[in-house]
Amino acid sequence: MMGFILADLRRFKGGALAVVVLIALSVALSVAVTLQERAVRLGSARAAEKFDLVVGAAGSETQLALSAVFLQPSPLPLMSGAVLEKLARDPRVSFAAPVGFGDSADGRPVVGTTTALVTALSPTLAEGAIFARLGEAVIGADVPMRLGAQIKPMHGAADSGGHTHVELAYTVRGRMAPTGTAWDRAILVPIRAVWQLHGMGAEAEHGHDHGDEAPDGAAAEDHDHAVHVEPDAALDEHFDAETPGIPAVLVKPKTMGDAYRLRQEYRSETTLAVFPAEVLTRLYATLGDARSLLLAIAIATQAIVVAAILLVTIMHVGARRRQIGALRAFGAPRRAVFAIVWGELFLLLLAGFALGLAIGYGAAWAISAALASATAVHMPVEFTRADLSLAMWFAALAVLVSIVPALSALRLSPAAALRA
Amino acid sequence: MLALDIAALEMRFPGLDTPVLSIENLHLPAGGGLAITGASGSGKSTLVNVVTGLEPATRGSVCWGDTEITRLPTGRRDAFRAAHIGLVMQDFHLFPGLSAYENVVLPVRLARRLKPGERERALHLLEISGIARPGQPIETLSRGEMQRVAVARALLPKPGVIVADEPTASLDRRIGGEVADLIVRLARAEGATLLVVTHDPALVERIGRHIVLDGGRIIEDAGKAEAA
Repeated sequence: MMGFILADLRRFKGGALAVVVLIALSVALSVAVTLQERAVRLGSARAAEKFDLVVGAAGSETQLALSAVFLQPSPLPLMSGAVLEKLARDPRVSFAAPVGFGDSADGRPVVGTTTALVTALSPTLAEGAIFARLGEAVIGADVPMRLGAQIKPMHGAADSGGHTHVELAYTVRGRMAPTGTAWDRAILVPIRAVWQLHGMGAEAEHGHDHGDEAPDGAAAEDHDHAVHVEPDAALDEHFDAETPGIPAVLVKPKTMGDAYRLRQEYRSETTLAVFPAEVLTRLYATLGDARSLLLAIAIATQAIVVAAILLVTIMHVGARRRQIGALRAFGAPRRAVFAIVWGELFLLLLAGFALGLAIGYGAAWAISAALASATAVHMPVEFTRADLSLAMWFAALAVLVSIVPALSALRLSPAAALRA
Repeated sequence: MLALDIAALEMRFPGLDTPVLSIENLHLPAGGGLAITGASGSGKSTLVNVVTGLEPATRGSVCWGDTEITRLPTGRRDAFRAAHIGLVMQDFHLFPGLSAYENVVLPVRLARRLKPGERERALHLLEISGIARPGQPIETLSRGEMQRVAVARALLPKPGVIVADEPTASLDRRIGGEVADLIVRLARAEGATLLVVTHDPALVERIGRHIVLDGGRIIEDAGKAEAA
């Protein structure tokens, strides 16, 4: 039986191949849409996971979330440094890290922040150590630089007409472990270095009695921040009301309740507080709509393809009347004829489905890889249990669809078929 | 081997006033031979179709031995034909993409597993039919060889009857003669009743009994005495 089906398919290999390819492409379309949407959703959800609450100046919530989570370059309005001071002292906050965007190096974002955020992103570094002086940097896992390398930050991005800061070159001191987020592409530097490079050294007039991570008792530091930045100056991660303006603060609240209360409090005339995950969920709703639309188109394509294949096979059965009649005449039982015609089409549909799965998976994988290399956000391309039921549906449909020409073959009278 | 008994058989097609076949009575003893001739449209093919159970009869009965196949439902008719009637057709109806051997065993294989010994029988039948290489793809054989393979296929299930519909008409004279010889020889050797529709006088001659159809009726029945 199988031998006959295969011999028959070999005989019509052009047509068989066309049917397989048609099915494969239409299946690949829906597979790719489903997988890709899931990959983007999961990937960005995981990327947002590390950022519970983002506080920024009043403006666009989406912009604030996207900038913080994906380090999307965009001019965020600055908010008063006093907000950072208040957050840092708030007992409900386990840490509040300022992030200063705007600079880049080789197309990678240079982000000013504090050691607290580095520790939060990568509790243990892949290599090296956290920055301890103004002129030091920690790089994300995907940044292709070695420890000790020099980074010349550029204001803005090269392709948008930025200029290089000649005043300071950072030295790479450490590398974070991979986080699967956009921060893997980032270069993290002390926030104060960023401020000073941009002439925002309001604290120049103040002598701070605080050193790195040590709240009290550290040696006082004398800063000379005209335009010159002292790369060897020690860190100062204490922020007061005189702190310069910052685009955003990443906040790690102690409890869920604190998170909601903080968000409530910092939604005001001048500041904005968002849960990035929530903002992304809203974006996914839009993304989900797009997915539904694409999927509907893909399924409609499949329906058209199936209808076309049905037409072709029914015509094909017509063209094979003699062969089918002869099979019956020479003693093949009707069930064998039915099984042959059904089996041939079912086999083609199944082969097309399998090929389509592979193509769709490959396409989603390639798209995810391209996206990941552009954003560093790891996009997991994976099948889930829900896909199994889709596959079952397809199999059931394939069984039903291939029954149609088989039934039409059964209705042929062998004598009439032989006469044809 | 099976005897054929036809009684009050009538075949009508929709839209035609007169029956295309009308046979009051025809008896062919088991192991006997019968040649059927007649102009085209005389009802020869219809007769073949009804005695092989490819088409149901409008009225009357066709019996092979104790089985009245005109009373069997389609599925049982198919099964009876598969088990007892070896068919050889003018156009061979072999299946490209399969070898000579695979073509011989195909109908049996599509119905059930090959019985022990059937493989050897298939190879033996091919050999005595003059097919040297059973594994040769069917489409590379000559027309004469193709019909020989078809004959071997018809004989595989040890049928009690062989029905051949113009078995030599699409072959040239010499090859046709050889195929005709093969059919008659094998039918005798297997002890099968032989029914042949043919225009070939040499083949008619070899079979002995000969009926002529015209307008669906038997107008001549010659050689009955010798055959019976």
